[in-house]
Amino acid sequence: MRPVNGEDGLSAADVKNLPWVEKYRPRRLDDVVNQEQVVEALKNIVVSKNVPHMLFAGPPGTGKTATAHAFAQDLFGPRYIEDGHFIEINASDERGIETIRERVKTYARSVPFGGIGFRLLLLDESDQLTDAAQHAFRRTMEQFSTTCRFILAANYSNRIIEPIQSRCAVLRFKPLSKDMVGTMLKKIAASENIKLDDSGVDAIYEFSMGDMRKAINILQSAASLSNTIDSKTIYNVMGVVSRGEIMRMLQLVLDGKFIEARNLLRELLYVQGYQPTDIVSSIAREIPLLPVSEQDKLRLMDLIGETDYRISEGGTPEVQLQAFLAKLALVKRSGA
Amino acid sequence: MTQLWTEKHRPRKVSEIVGNKEAVQSFLDWMADWEKGKPSKKAALLYGPAGVGKTSLVHAYASERGYEVIETNASDFRTRENIERIVGAASGMASLTMGQRKIILVDEVDGIDARADAGAVTSLVDIISKTHVPLVLVANDPWDPRLAPLRDACVMIQFRRIPKPSVSAHLKKIAAAENVRVPEDVLRRIVENSEGDLRSAINDLQMASAALEMGLVTGPRDRKDEIFTALATIFNAKSYNTAQEAARNIDIDHMELMQWILENAPQQLSPTDLAEALENLAKADLYLQRINTRQNWQFLRYAVPMMTAGVALSRKTSPSKFVKFTYPDAIKFLGRTKSMRETLNSISEKVGKKLHMSARKARTEMIPYLKIIMSHDGEELAEYFELSPAEAQFLRGGEVKKSRVKGRG
Repeated sequence: MRPVNGEDGLSAADVKNLPWVEKYRPRRLDDVVNQEQVVEALKNIVVSKNVPHMLFAGPPGTGKTATAHAFAQDLFGPRYIEDGHFIEINASDERGIETIRERVKTYARSVPFGGIGFRLLLLDESDQLTDAAQHAFRRTMEQFSTTCRFILAANYSNRIIEPIQSRCAVLRFKPLSKDMVGTMLKKIAASENIKLDDSGVDAIYEFSMGDMRKAINILQSAASLSNTIDSKTIYNVMGVVSRGEIMRMLQLVLDGKFIEARNLLRELLYVQGYQPTDIVSSIAREIPLLPVSEQDKLRLMDLIGETDYRISEGGTPEVQLQAFLAKLALVKRSGA
Repeated sequence: MTQLWTEKHRPRKVSEIVGNKEAVQSFLDWMADWEKGKPSKKAALLYGPAGVGKTSLVHAYASERGYEVIETNASDFRTRENIERIVGAASGMASLTMGQRKIILVDEVDGIDARADAGAVTSLVDIISKTHVPLVLVANDPWDPRLAPLRDACVMIQFRRIPKPSVSAHLKKIAAAENVRVPEDVLRRIVENSEGDLRSAINDLQMASAALEMGLVTGPRDRKDEIFTALATIFNAKSYNTAQEAARNIDIDHMELMQWILENAPQQLSPTDLAEALENLAKADLYLQRINTRQNWQFLRYAVPMMTAGVALSRKTSPSKFVKFTYPDAIKFLGRTKSMRETLNSISEKVGKKLHMSARKARTEMIPYLKIIMSHDGEELAEYFELSPAEAQFLRGGEVKKSRVKGRG
């Protein structure tokens, strides 16, 4: 399939075959979908040029980073990066708060020519910083606020310390509704000359929920297999992503091969790089299909739910999942 | 699964008993009297510290001279009835001349519970007076006043700690038989720690050689050796305090200790015990992670007991065999897959940079999909992300087919 230039403001970059998440990223605030209140607030700021520190909070794939870029472009013009008005630092890529402070210091020392009196810095995944690092960063924010304004992006605003929250305008990003995801997917499909039917949209949403990035990734993965996409194509793709291996892991446990199952789990986590939450949700999908009693299915669902909760609370995925597998090992196969 | 060296290298002949020459001679003299039919006393009480060869002597003698050893443990019988049923029956049943000759061995005599039937000691004395079979009692500390009647009825044979040079020589013999080379300083440390307890020294030697086999023990005061000791405690402790102390006595990051425990748990524990132990480890993990991200150090007071006592006390069934501790496979695993992960990391960084996300996020949220997409549209995307040929190949190599775990146990 040949990429076609996007319509309706979805302008494709000059490179032919971009990852679609990049290709269909909103470039301007007007392109941002689903976040009306956020967009309205940001547009007002663009007009007034009175930029506060901001905290963008919301689940993955709701457009926090993209919106920050769109905002910067509307504020500083298309060369917002090249001319040094905007920089992004990723908290989880940097080695400690000292490196981050050094970078902020260098960056915020001066103001570029032709700007509006300050630069803009996006600290992405800022909830990855420890409390201590956040306190240090807070001082940095204050120190440089005349020459630099900060946008902090985070999945969970409650993981950002109170003193930072109180210095920021907090803008909340909502997960995308199913309609919104569907509309967006169909728009992309049309632009890419792909037939995507409703069952395909339903299936994608089943996996992505309100995470637009994931939805688009699934669509592009499916499109690489076939030009017509329905629910079967999607299940096929997601099976490749995780399903087959997950079922195999669960079967190994039921067969009493705990150590083999553990090795497979590590392979998935550390070598193939699966997202722990994907592994958990795949396990949840497989549980009703396991050859175990009905009561055990319910019990296992409860246990994997607990595992999911613990991982979201910061538990180490490997440890938490191993504990789940050890409990699964005690469940008897039914029938057969 | 490996046999315990203390079993494997148990003395088969009396001459193989290490140390305690006097005690051995007294025992031989007493048995010689039995064989002549007129022992001065019908029972012998072998006493002394643990692991110096008291029961080994009885077994070695029996196997050499064709006796059958009927072994009972005093802490197993609580009542007079039991003693009479078990010991009494055996002692009356067979005389020296009928069928296979027998020796009755009653271990842990000082373990007779004070709350147990007060008649237990009297009952034993009674059996001694009537027995037609040599009766050997074993105790660590025979000086309990309650045991006075027994002392009078027995030939008292004292065992002492094995001198260090003898322990050392014996360990070398075993090491040679097992074909392991143990560095002199490791050996010296084991001998020092043993305090004349040969059995514990042999156990330590087996432990250390398991570590050596994996190239872990390098010099004196090696921390891996300490970890093995701590693990042995954590997996075998019967009490909350003992288990918890194990973590206190070693210099190791709690997260790393957890990896070691996690790695070894499936080999050490039955499935039921494993489920309980891993649940406790999972809870410890939550505390540790909270400490990591929030510096809530007070959680350490819950994390440590959960990962130590939480494992020790979940063990309901004890293993019959000695299982070697292993190096955390997660660490080995990471070593084995180093180049793969380096490639993955480098790809993740490049992808993350282009797509405005951290490498971590790129790895989990993009790469699984890129593997599929790139198996078809490889060239252009590789160009876009500025991937090296090897990196592009890595992603394409994932292929659409299920990827298999490389054959490993």
